[in-house]
Amino acid sequence: MNELPQTEDWLDRRLREEAPYIDDAGFTGRVMKQLPHRPSLRTQRAIIIFTATILSVVIAYFGSGEGWFVREALVRAATLPPLTVFGFVLACGLLLIVGGLWAALTRTRDPIG
Amino acid sequence: MELTDADLLARVLVDGDQHAFGELVRRHQSPVRGLLRQLTRADVELADDLAQETFIRAYKNIRNFRGEAKFSTWLYRIAYNVFRDQARKRKELVGIDEAQWQSEADPQTADPGLRHDLMSALNSLPLHERSAIVLCCQNGLSHDEAARVLEIPLGTVKTNVLRGREKLKKILAAWGP
Repeated sequence: MNELPQTEDWLDRRLREEAPYIDDAGFTGRVMKQLPHRPSLRTQRAIIIFTATILSVVIAYFGSGEGWFVREALVRAATLPPLTVFGFVLACGLLLIVGGLWAALTRTRDPIG
Repeated sequence: MELTDADLLARVLVDGDQHAFGELVRRHQSPVRGLLRQLTRADVELADDLAQETFIRAYKNIRNFRGEAKFSTWLYRIAYNVFRDQARKRKELVGIDEAQWQSEADPQTADPGLRHDLMSALNSLPLHERSAIVLCCQNGLSHDEAARVLEIPLGTVKTNVLRGREKLKKILAAWGP
């Protein structure tokens, strides 16, 4: 598919050799100053997820008789033995640490250049 | 380890990382500006303005880059379109005023020796032959890639390269083997 140019001869060589490298001399900086600001895909994704979560919570709250199940869950949690509550809190803490470490390790990248 | 163009593009697309785009500009600025200098017959100021417009347009449309061609080929295509748009505005694409172009030539090309002769010879070619020669012979694009950049049939590119080379060889016969 990608056909190569004709066999190189003195003209091709001269043309290539005589094409000077153009020094940047602030060109990249000038381009960067003119780039339009655009929210990153990550930011857009975070906004969408946050909005969807809030909407779901509101819908669930009103769709379930103003959150009777939340009150029920809180009452049940209050009657749990202290050791169970401690174990639950410990498990949540460990989960958060593992999640944080995993995120930190996967986001470590090579520097540019 | 140096990041590839694809790595940098991924960063621009996923994270909106402008520094990654800056690195792409740094890598490709010389050939893009070189191409535009040839197309504008060494009008350095105009060529650099068009090169800036090229990279800004590339940034705005970066999501349209499908990776079917090399990133450099995609940039050349944008650069050629930017040049063509500007030329249309100045009514220079059809019926180019050769004398005006010559008078606008940058004094940098007035160096003695081969470079001067090469630049003069290139500048003496009509736009369609000059574009094809610069892309294929100077920047190393295949005929197929050049056809995509210039949006003309493959056969036309081959003809333009062939004719352009013949003319250049005649003009530069003294520098030949």
